[in-house]
Amino acid sequence: MTQKATVEVAAAQQKPATKVKVRYDKKAESEFFVDNSALAGFTTERILYMAVRELIENSLDSCETSHVLPKISLSLKMLDQENDLWTITCEDNGIGVPSDKVPVAVCSFLTSGKYVEKQQRGLFGVGLKMIAAFSTKDTIHPLKVWSKSHEEGFESYFELRTDISTNKPIVLAKKTVKGEESMIAGDSGFRVEAILHAKLSPITRNNMKSKINEYISQTSVVNPYAIIEYETDEGKVTFDRRTEVMPQPAKEVLPHPADMDLQTLKKAIMNFMNQKTTLQGILSASFQKMSSEKAKDIIAKACVENKLADKYSENELIEIVKICKHTAFQQANTDHLSPIGEEILTTGMTSEYTIVTTKEVVPSVEGTSAPEVQRPQITVKVLKPSLTAYASRTCVINNRPTIVECGIAYGGDIPSFKLYRFANKIPLLYDEGSDVAREVVSEVPINRMGITKQEAKEFANVEVKSDRAVELLPLHVFFHICSTKIPYKTAGKESIASEGELKKYMKSCLSELYRKVSAQIRRELRMKEAAGRLNLYKFYIPLVVSAISESIKIDSAKLEQAFTELAERHVKIEQQAGAQVVEKEDKITSERLEEEVEEAVEIDGEVIKPDREQIAINAARKKGKLSKPKSMKEKIPETLQKKDKQATLDAVIEGKSKGRKKVNADD
Amino acid sequence: MPTTDKRHQEVVKKIRQIMKDVSTDLMVQKTMPVLNVPKVGSDNTVWSDSKRMLTIGDKTVGISPDSTKKIPTFTQYLVMANAVRRLLDEEMESTIRGMYYATLSTVGDEKNKQKFWAGQENSDDAIKAIELLTGVPREEFSVTSKPKGMISGPITLRVGGDVIDCNLGSRATSQLIPTNIRDVEIIKVKADFVMVVEKDTVLNNIRKSGFIQKYNAILMTGSGEPDRATRMMVKALNEEWKKPVVVFADADPWGLGIALRYKIGSESLSYDSDRLVTPDAKVLGMMFSDIYKYNIPEVARLAATDEDINRANDMKKKPWFQDKQWQKELNIFLQNNEKCELDAFFKHGFKYLAEVYLPEKLREAGVI
Repeated sequence: MTQKATVEVAAAQQKPATKVKVRYDKKAESEFFVDNSALAGFTTERILYMAVRELIENSLDSCETSHVLPKISLSLKMLDQENDLWTITCEDNGIGVPSDKVPVAVCSFLTSGKYVEKQQRGLFGVGLKMIAAFSTKDTIHPLKVWSKSHEEGFESYFELRTDISTNKPIVLAKKTVKGEESMIAGDSGFRVEAILHAKLSPITRNNMKSKINEYISQTSVVNPYAIIEYETDEGKVTFDRRTEVMPQPAKEVLPHPADMDLQTLKKAIMNFMNQKTTLQGILSASFQKMSSEKAKDIIAKACVENKLADKYSENELIEIVKICKHTAFQQANTDHLSPIGEEILTTGMTSEYTIVTTKEVVPSVEGTSAPEVQRPQITVKVLKPSLTAYASRTCVINNRPTIVECGIAYGGDIPSFKLYRFANKIPLLYDEGSDVAREVVSEVPINRMGITKQEAKEFANVEVKSDRAVELLPLHVFFHICSTKIPYKTAGKESIASEGELKKYMKSCLSELYRKVSAQIRRELRMKEAAGRLNLYKFYIPLVVSAISESIKIDSAKLEQAFTELAERHVKIEQQAGAQVVEKEDKITSERLEEEVEEAVEIDGEVIKPDREQIAINAARKKGKLSKPKSMKEKIPETLQKKDKQATLDAVIEGKSKGRKKVNADD
Repeated sequence: MPTTDKRHQEVVKKIRQIMKDVSTDLMVQKTMPVLNVPKVGSDNTVWSDSKRMLTIGDKTVGISPDSTKKIPTFTQYLVMANAVRRLLDEEMESTIRGMYYATLSTVGDEKNKQKFWAGQENSDDAIKAIELLTGVPREEFSVTSKPKGMISGPITLRVGGDVIDCNLGSRATSQLIPTNIRDVEIIKVKADFVMVVEKDTVLNNIRKSGFIQKYNAILMTGSGEPDRATRMMVKALNEEWKKPVVVFADADPWGLGIALRYKIGSESLSYDSDRLVTPDAKVLGMMFSDIYKYNIPEVARLAATDEDINRANDMKKKPWFQDKQWQKELNIFLQNNEKCELDAFFKHGFKYLAEVYLPEKLREAGVI
């Protein structure tokens, strides 16, 4: 835009002395985006984070378009500490960009191969251009690009800068590279090297680093089929490929008539310009779920005649749009969406890679005055949960088909609660508090998991403090929303609004998952409780034993042993309560009964024999038929009486009236 | 060294029986033992029309080491029972605080260390449980609390071997009511009636004015919530020595509650009402109507709190509160939402309470 369109407007004011001239300028896209970089998320603190994001997302899109298993190498290193310069490099094995398109693809804003109706990470053709423009704006270094497109098969090298005032690329160097100069090893690929200026205080720098680490970790969860290498000044980490399965790539589809407006309709007609096509033909060819019959109906209902398409007035067209809005069509297909899928998300959840930063101590070198320093070091840690579950729903939000996917991972290496949010496979890291997923997690009651708030609190990790019971559990919740029109809350695209019935579907997903894992979680909690209770017995039994043995004459070792055995059995029975009883049937035969009756014990100089009734009760309890221990009201259950008739239960019941047999020790 | 005191021997026998039953359950019957402790609290407190006092109902709580929560409680009861036995065998006596210290310990290993008692209330509860399990009040097994009840007037006590004349001539001090009631004996009472007031400050004022000499009265106070020794002393003076008993407390629901401790008993000690409650005691003041009748100036009145109002509404429904006079008094309180302390009479002059208010009230009731 070399000639600026300048219009002078003389305001018709009454006082000519204060006449104000207003100049109307046309701004180049590049200039607009650089001036308003925050619109695309490029703020001072986030510039490096955004650059990483944009490059990784472009690379993944590029690989997925051609169904290539992605391998991405990213590097972010300090170039010049004094001038706050960083080098960022990203290389992928995607389809590359044809050499004639490279300069505009890299430098010209709003130029993209992604302006089609299908789910992709990037949509606007802004990200990479932003990096180029910032590099041009703040540094003297050109952007270096290597590209090998799958069509051309040779590798081109470019040095580029952006002419910000015109939105046009400046090509400083261009050549075909071969042999030793070649950077791209595979059949196709793309590599960018940019130098960016980012002035960060030590705190924002650490913050930025941990956000990037988090971003890459989360990306790897939903892209377990990608190898991601990440190199920084603190070391290099590699996220392995854990599956060869890739999600079905999204297909380009026609727009759905429910989503039609005057603009889309006019655009459709424009596409058939000069082809002498009727409106009926254009409608059925430009929109999905629109048969020729249906198109005819609609035109009839709109009370306009079926004539050549370019002969319609806007009034007539808006009538068509209105009718379409009120006509029932088949639900839109979802071929243009690419959900992660159960298999891939489960793979991601069962081996969750996270970057952790450790401090490596560099000892002071002897003989020099250099003190010992701690150098941060990044490594990868793999979290293996003890169970995972997956659910999904398809719905229509914003007139667009939307797929909600939800996964949960519980226990194992997972230390505490965490919520992961993804939109079209992009991790959302900021603004969690205002995201619909946050509301969903707070609103789905934890008792769907089969545990009470109280139980969650009792078994929580002691270091975790939260008012919400679910956040006390070692649980990772994943939400993925895919749609061509995600209802973002803000322009920064960091949180999703509770649009239409989206929340309802998300809640239904999460409830389903809670139910799926409830049995397992309950079992785990019971085990934990049992262990805690055994410990409690271990601590308290000696106190009981010493109180008793100081007061009466008794064999304290035997008492302790009896109490301990009883406690262990009791904990085991409690644990089994409700679950399948594993212990073998323990039939009370009359002989056994007599044997047990003779097992007398001397307590405080008195020999005491067991009750017949109690023996029967104990046996029933062993079988898991009585879970509660002795209370005054305890009765032998009826079912037991019927089933074990041969077990001389009658004798047991008779014995009830005799009570406890006491024999004096002196006799 | 087993105790030689017969009554103590009985307590020790009961404790040993508890130990024996627990051991039998554990070793012979192979089942979790249960200590069935009578339940104490509002839902197991019953008003007895014939006795005219609060008594304990027949609900019990089963304390058994079968549930996680009760393992510590069960252990605490047995440890306390053993401590009581030791105390009696050594022929010593102890306060409830002493018992707390005697049984202090920690449980658990290095990682999970916790205190055996969460605080003294915990050990007090255990002592209460021993009383309930053995059916013997703690004074009988030599566990007492710090004395805080006071007495002044023409009465002579024998405490152990010592004779104590409570008619202290100097008007300057009162006698503490000993809590080891087993050792206390009333040997002589020359007074015409017994007047119980809520607080020691008020008692001091009345004593100093010469009230005792003028009206030949015994003055007593429990210094707020009365301990058992004070309540028992009041009961003995009323029922054994046939002296009329009158009670004065602050004109607020709390004070009224304290006055009623003497007359009908309390929920937390309902199991021991037979020994503690004096149904013939008369609660004479301070009435809510007295605030207005005696023109207590507004600055000396206090605003009722929400808690006061809830308490008053609660009281209104109780069966022992259905007397017309009392309903009227509570209505006055609920209408005006004002309360008042006995001390407020000092606004009318330091001698007003002892020389005007109390004599008028006593005359009205026909006590003098």
